[in-house]
Amino acid sequence: MKKYIFGVVFIALIWACTSENEEVAVDPDTTVSFERAAMLSNWADNIIIPSYDAFAVEITALNTAYTSFKSDATITNLQNFRKSWLSAYKMWQRVSMFEIGPAESVGLRLNMNIYPTDTQKIDGLMTSGTYDLTLSSNRNVKGFPALDYFINGLGVDDDAIIAKFKDENKQARFGYIDAVLANMTTLTDNVVAAWKSSYRNVFVSNNGASATASVDRFVNDYIFYYEKFLRAGKMGIPLGVFTGTPIPKNVEAYYEGQISNELFLEGLDATQDFFNGKYFGVDQTGESLATYLDALNSVKNGEDLNKIINAQFNAARTAVSALGSFRSEIENNTPPSAMFLAYDEVQKIVPLLKVDMVSAMSISIDFVDADGD
Amino acid sequence: MNKLLFLPLFLVVLFVSCDNNDGDDTTIQISNPASYTFERNGNNTVNFNGQTTRLQMGNEIVKALLTPTTSAEQLNAMYGHIQGASNFQDANLNASDKNMRSKTAASVDFFSANTSNQALIRADFDAWLSAQVVEIFPNWQVRATPGVAGQIPDGSATRYINSKGLEFDQLWTKGLIGALVTDQILNNYLSTAVLDEGSNRADNDADITVDGNSYTNMEHKWDEAYGYVYGLNANAANPNADLGADDFLNKYIGRVEGDDDFKGIADEIFQAFKLGRAAIVAKEYEVRDEQAAIIKLKISEIIGIRSVYYLQQAKNLLGQEVPDFGAAFHDISEGYGFIYSLQFTRKPNSNEPYFSKAEVDALLVDLMNDGPNGLWDVNLSTLENMATAIAARFEFSLEEASE
Repeated sequence: MKKYIFGVVFIALIWACTSENEEVAVDPDTTVSFERAAMLSNWADNIIIPSYDAFAVEITALNTAYTSFKSDATITNLQNFRKSWLSAYKMWQRVSMFEIGPAESVGLRLNMNIYPTDTQKIDGLMTSGTYDLTLSSNRNVKGFPALDYFINGLGVDDDAIIAKFKDENKQARFGYIDAVLANMTTLTDNVVAAWKSSYRNVFVSNNGASATASVDRFVNDYIFYYEKFLRAGKMGIPLGVFTGTPIPKNVEAYYEGQISNELFLEGLDATQDFFNGKYFGVDQTGESLATYLDALNSVKNGEDLNKIINAQFNAARTAVSALGSFRSEIENNTPPSAMFLAYDEVQKIVPLLKVDMVSAMSISIDFVDADGD
Repeated sequence: MNKLLFLPLFLVVLFVSCDNNDGDDTTIQISNPASYTFERNGNNTVNFNGQTTRLQMGNEIVKALLTPTTSAEQLNAMYGHIQGASNFQDANLNASDKNMRSKTAASVDFFSANTSNQALIRADFDAWLSAQVVEIFPNWQVRATPGVAGQIPDGSATRYINSKGLEFDQLWTKGLIGALVTDQILNNYLSTAVLDEGSNRADNDADITVDGNSYTNMEHKWDEAYGYVYGLNANAANPNADLGADDFLNKYIGRVEGDDDFKGIADEIFQAFKLGRAAIVAKEYEVRDEQAAIIKLKISEIIGIRSVYYLQQAKNLLGQEVPDFGAAFHDISEGYGFIYSLQFTRKPNSNEPYFSKAEVDALLVDLMNDGPNGLWDVNLSTLENMATAIAARFEFSLEEASE
């Protein structure tokens, strides 16, 4: 099974000074073997598909809780709906990074979780009664953030929110949530079905080492997720790291107000677990980016790169765990220094993955900052 | 202490001209200021209000093109603004006697004796404005598919394309980078036919200023070229700090500057403008024309580089396992406008663009011609071959421009 040999260091001795002959010698001791195919199987079978399955279960539960709330808009049913929403939203953090294949085709991430959601537009569409939530221009009025608005943002307390589901617009409101949930459900079901029916084998069998191979592509997607969505989307943008002006409205789950850290930490755990090849929901690990680095014997400043990366994930977790809710950190501190310091720990993982790890694996980064127009 | 920054810092540059073989060497002395700041008897002589106004009009039209309640009449009235008409949100623009349409394909060198091409080119821009309203706006809430206009996602953005995949707003905006901005700069204001028109040289030699102004005619012409590049920068005397101040050439000088392969090009363009202007003050016309040649080369390269860049980016996006049509069509639409703009470039020390109008027209037909649905059918080889052909006319390489 040493079919695939990667990261081979060739010591090429070229004798061509006086003759036309060339000889190339390879030092066998420096050959490293790592099976990318085994890593891809572990990713697909033990992490990606089980995670999607669990997410689909969450979406079903969310629909069930909503159905109860719709039939009887009590505070208890609102709270149960909200609980299911949070549970599904947390599970979303474990699948958001898998934007390859079926999820990439439908643009799952930007259909599920664009925030801030445009509440003015939601109200307008809801009142008009005509809207097509599958249009790309409507991605900012649906998904988890739109639900956040409906279950947390319509009033100052539960009584006020419940009142909105009993007033003259309640039909329009329920109708809109129906459409949001139907859209989330269809997208999820299609992605899960596509992974199981065909994409799993496409993904696992594309086990070479090139810009179009599954490992190279997914490592890019993984780092892109970490950098743009976890680090920037959940912390950097609301903090104003890139613009100099904090924007508390841009925190994830703004209307709920308390859980943005929890969602972030779930995403951080998911990226670290993925790095370590940890099975979803089972305390077991398989071939992973971590074991790949170990096989390559990657060291940085005399220390194992795998250990350095895990230590930095842990440092980031410790720093973020110590914060109050992102919304309160940003709204109540000028500047929000504690959150900036935590952000710095989160940021430190980026070069470890994007420079050190990928160069050890001979993977080139294929994304650049978008044109912006 | 900040006041020190405003003191005119003069750099004395010595030019030794050695190109004469007969030993007739001359030493020229030009005061080249650190910033684009020029004065006569203590009065500022730099003025490019008209250019700033047109760029501001352009920015308003760009916004209106993506506001689906705008009518074709409104768009065309903005483009061909008549003084006093209430076309713009900015009242100063409404009061202006300037407009963009009359400066489209309007350079002395290329169009004063080619009114037929001028009319054809203006008709293109008129048509793109109308088509945005007629073809795109009715399908604003429709998903685009091959043969059907509508919206399509491009990352977190949404683009609005015609039935063949083109965004008319991009064609219009990027097309005017050539047809208005570049044409006016390279083929009009930096042309000796304009700079040296009538008694301009004698007047400049004698410091005879334009009635009621502190500048000579020649100085002003040069500044008008400058204004089309930097007219909206916060500090136009030191403009490179905020490249991207408009939606036209300025923005794309910034983009090319951001590519490591071309780092420094923004300063080269700025330095050439500044030294050329200083040379006019020093009445050193040879130096002026050398700087004009540098500007012609570099601005033409900006257009060539972006043409190649967008074609190559689109090729990569369409070649992915999951082709990203929205992002690719957006890139090609921008590229279409830049390719269109190639006919307004200028080879230094010649009267020729890098690509003639006929050649540009042929490229654009090729681009849309791989199947009945235009870009939905475009072959990757069409994009690659076109990028290669464009890069081959310039000094930069395909690889340098591609990333």
